[in-house]
Amino acid sequence: MAIFRPDDEARVRGVLDALERPVELLVALGPEETPLAGARDVDFGAETVRVAEQLAALSAAVSCRVEDEPPGFDRYPAIAIRPSGEDAGLRYYGLPWGYELGSLVGGVVEAGKLQPSLSEESRERLGSLELDLAIDVFVTPT
Amino acid sequence: MLLAYRTALASPRVRAAAIEATEFPQLADSMDVWAVPRVVVNGVPQWDGSVPERVFLDRILAPTFA
Repeated sequence: MAIFRPDDEARVRGVLDALERPVELLVALGPEETPLAGARDVDFGAETVRVAEQLAALSAAVSCRVEDEPPGFDRYPAIAIRPSGEDAGLRYYGLPWGYELGSLVGGVVEAGKLQPSLSEESRERLGSLELDLAIDVFVTPT
Repeated sequence: MLLAYRTALASPRVRAAAIEATEFPQLADSMDVWAVPRVVVNGVPQWDGSVPERVFLDRILAPTFA
C-alpha cells in the first residue's frame, strides 16, 4: 500500500524538488523486533523501512539506507535524517505515520536546505549556546 | 516538530528527536505525556503545544539550560 494518496504524493514530490543538497534517511531497526502489547502483529521496523523507502523513491536527492544497530540511536525503530549523509542530530523514533508523516517530510525538506530556516536573530542566540541540548518532542500519529 | 529540527540544523550543539509516544509508552509515561506535542529538553519535561520561533528559543535557552 502506498504511504501517500496520489494527490499528496504529487505535492510531496513538489516540495522535495526544492532540495538543495542530498538527504539520506538512515533507518535503524534495532537488535530485534519487540512486539508491543496491542500492536496486532504490526512489524514497526518493516513499516518504518517501507515509509523511508517510499519517501526516498519520490526524489533523486533522497536516499534510504537500513542498518540494524548503527551508533547514535537511543531506541528502535528509528530514522536519522542526514543532510549530505552526515549526522546533524535529527531523529524520528517510531513509525512515522498519519499526521506525523508530515514531520518526517518536513525534516527532509529542512535538511535539504543549504541555509538554516531559523531567523538570523535566532541563529545568533544559538551561537552563544555553551552546552549541548537534546530536544525531544513527543508526538502521536493522529 | 519542525522548529526543533530547524534548531538542530542551525547549531551543532542541538539535537532534535521526534518520539512517537504510543510506540514508547514507558518513556512517554516517564515524561508525563498527556498531550502532544510535549517538549522535553535534556530529559526534563518543559511544555505542551506549538509555540512561535521566538518563544521556542526563549524556552530552550532559559537559564535552566544556558
